Amino acid sequence: MTRFVKPLRVRLFGRRKKGSGQDNSPKDLQKDKVFSDQELQNLGLSPDLQANLLQVREILSECSDVVFREFDFAQDERIKLALIYVDGLVDKTQVSDQILRSLMLDAPLVEQGGEFTRARAFMLIKKKLLPMHDLKETNNLGQVIDAVLEGAGVLLVNGHACAIINYSRGWEGRKVEESQTELVVRGPREAFVETLRVNTSLLRRKIKNPNLKIETMKLGEVTKTDVAVVYIKGIVNDKIVAEVKERLNRIKIDAVLETGYIEELIEDSPWSPFCTLLHTERPDKVAANLLEGRVAILVDGTPYVLTAPLLFVESLQTPEDYYQRWPVSSATRLFRLFTIIVSLLAPSVYVAIITYHHEMLPTALLLSMAAQRELVPFPVFVEAFAMEFTFEILREASIRLPRQVGQAVSIVGALIIGEAAVRAGLVGAGTVIVVALTGIASFAYCYAASMSIRLLRFPILVLAGILGLYGVICGVLFILVHLATLRSFGVPFLSPVAPLNTGGLKDTVVRAPWWAMLRRPRLIGMANPQREAEGLKPAPPPAGRKR
Amino acid sequence: MLEGGKIDSKQAILLMVAMVLPTAFLSVAAVTASLAKQDGWISILLATLGALLIAWLAVSLGLRFPEKTLFQFPEVILGKWPGKVVAFLYIWWYIHLNVEVLRQYGSFLVAAFMPETPISVFMLLIMAIAAYAVRNGLEVYSRVNELILPLILVSVVILNILAAPEMSMKRLLPVFEHGAVPIIKGAVMPTAWMGEIVTMAVLIPYLNKAKEAYRIAITATLIAGFFMLITQLADVAIFGPVTAAWLFPGLDAARVIHLANFLERLEPVVMVIWVAGVMIKISVFYWAAALGSAQWLELKDYKPLVLPVGVIIYALSIMAHDSLLDLFAFLGMFWGPYALTLFIVGMPLLLLVVAVIRGQGGSRH
Repeated sequence: MTRFVKPLRVRLFGRRKKGSGQDNSPKDLQKDKVFSDQELQNLGLSPDLQANLLQVREILSECSDVVFREFDFAQDERIKLALIYVDGLVDKTQVSDQILRSLMLDAPLVEQGGEFTRARAFMLIKKKLLPMHDLKETNNLGQVIDAVLEGAGVLLVNGHACAIINYSRGWEGRKVEESQTELVVRGPREAFVETLRVNTSLLRRKIKNPNLKIETMKLGEVTKTDVAVVYIKGIVNDKIVAEVKERLNRIKIDAVLETGYIEELIEDSPWSPFCTLLHTERPDKVAANLLEGRVAILVDGTPYVLTAPLLFVESLQTPEDYYQRWPVSSATRLFRLFTIIVSLLAPSVYVAIITYHHEMLPTALLLSMAAQRELVPFPVFVEAFAMEFTFEILREASIRLPRQVGQAVSIVGALIIGEAAVRAGLVGAGTVIVVALTGIASFAYCYAASMSIRLLRFPILVLAGILGLYGVICGVLFILVHLATLRSFGVPFLSPVAPLNTGGLKDTVVRAPWWAMLRRPRLIGMANPQREAEGLKPAPPPAGRKR
Repeated sequence: MLEGGKIDSKQAILLMVAMVLPTAFLSVAAVTASLAKQDGWISILLATLGALLIAWLAVSLGLRFPEKTLFQFPEVILGKWPGKVVAFLYIWWYIHLNVEVLRQYGSFLVAAFMPETPISVFMLLIMAIAAYAVRNGLEVYSRVNELILPLILVSVVILNILAAPEMSMKRLLPVFEHGAVPIIKGAVMPTAWMGEIVTMAVLIPYLNKAKEAYRIAITATLIAGFFMLITQLADVAIFGPVTAAWLFPGLDAARVIHLANFLERLEPVVMVIWVAGVMIKISVFYWAAALGSAQWLELKDYKPLVLPVGVIIYALSIMAHDSLLDLFAFLGMFWGPYALTLFIVGMPLLLLVVAVIRGQGGSRH
């Protein structure tokens, strides 16, 4: 009878014995307890190693990546040590060579013939036996836990209510590579990576100046992400730094996984389609911005860095503008301004003209347009809207698609949606041309600005469909007024054009030669406006002077 | 302070120009030509002189009370209740001015571009944009103006240059065909236009450097006068005395442009100038009306009044006139004397005289 009942009972209620067996573990190990930060900060270390280990095990229970390595100091069984670290976050060779080996095997070499006592051992370890670059001592359990999770190896010594934190971090990360999203023909190619320290080092390498300040803080109640505020003292406007720090300190959020989280929490106009903080993955761009008096915000775990304040003209600028000779850069900038206008207005102006203002077209063009559109069944507004929508689908798909199917999508996109749709008489060829032009133009300037403009294209298209050119003009005026209301950390978004600052115009739609850009942007780098010496314009030596 | 913003002298000059020019650009030639025929340009010169005097008057008055606007200092000068009445009249005037501008704006778009669209649609959209600008304050629409006005001025110059092949200076002759009286009569309306510089008396408390107010008012008047003059000359040189027959000679001047079979049909440029310029103009007067009402009612903020004042302006401008011709008759016959005698010259002069006699307000410095 029991042969049948037992399996049934087990199946129904589970193995009670095994379940109760787990309760036999030490009574004070409370696995289900959730520790708050506050609680951890208040916990101290005890001189008893086993008590400390029990406490840490309790806090870090069910964290299978945490390693507790208990060993004896210098083969001496009286002095017990324990090393706690997270596997994968520490540099394994460092841990085994410079910590374990030196404490277990090399200790007698350092202190030849001496007797190790508990009291001396601790001093010896700290002073002589840990050839690490960064050591810290603490008697707070919270700090121990934080250090372990940050990738440090924490050494506990029996008999001492003190822990030694060895910063032996070394985890797998991406190498510094060429920027994938902001390409230049001429200029440095490196881009930021996901590790904060590497990123700050990239900046420090460009600006070897003691005034380059890198202040760090932790954001994210759960993630405890490192965030660095970087600026150049003496150039930056101190009020802006204070404002940035104040806004960062206000943030209480569980996680900061990307600078985007911070951007949305500290920007000036949360409802605007325009971003008022720049994000970039190019160290040279960040360095140049710092040198103009801006503040950068770096976040661990993302290659994108925020800089503030942002001006609208920055969407016309690329790092390359400053490396190429100025006539070329200026021409390209004017061209970029044109592409902004095209990407915002081309479809709506097309719709307005075809629908309401035929008289604006030369007769020959009007006739050929009319001939094309004769067979198209939809009004041009519907047509343009549908094509724009299609283009957005293509664009979104081409970002997400797995690389192997890329070719298929581009063939489908180019041939079927363009060529075939026109041949089938679903859309006019003119619409396809205009939409394609708009799409391409929107990639010719700053990507972030192009996203905002892409959002605004559709309302203006609707206005054009309803009111013709008048609608377009009103839409543009509305956008202009909106842009004029924006501020980025106190600096008007449209400066130096409005409010006008003639000196600042040298770096807007044109880029003046370097020898003429004597000053930093007025509202940003006010603290130290002079950028370079005067009279740097290259010229042959005056005739009277002999070499 | 009700309005927290401050603008610098450059912005103030541009604002004062934008306040006068956009509407004038299109129709000033017709208004003056109907009275002064081909001598309209002399009327403009006279009007500019008159406007300079008005500018001097308004700034002298305003600088006596550099912390107070046109809606506040009458109380100091005339005593509480008479002052309130004067301030109220000025609020009314700004609302009325805006009603006429708005109506003119809508009428132009309907008459010239989209005859089948109801006028209320045009007016509603522009009022919405102006309300958004005014709500965000003086600084914001000054900045917008800083972007727009230079473009407008450049386009006006370019349009006139492109129309040059159609011009003939002979059409400006003979000078003084009908004597001086028609010329002076023709100067009344442009003086009323440029006399809107009286708004300086509202603007002075919001200037970065109030000391430069004279320079601002005079520069702005001269710039506005200059552009009115070249528009007038160009339009009359193209059409001759029949300019008076057009409702919007500025638009028709753009219509005659025909270059290289390619540059033709430039009316959309005129539309852009018109819409953008009038938006600024409406914003200035709208702001003055809203700010004035708030100061009159002694409120802490003018922003809650933006919507009600806007609704009043919008509703009145729909009801104000039956037709375009009614509007033009009103502007031509009535507006000049009404605005000039009461608001542009009369009351400021009265206020200044009383202030000087009673020794109120600071000296000119």
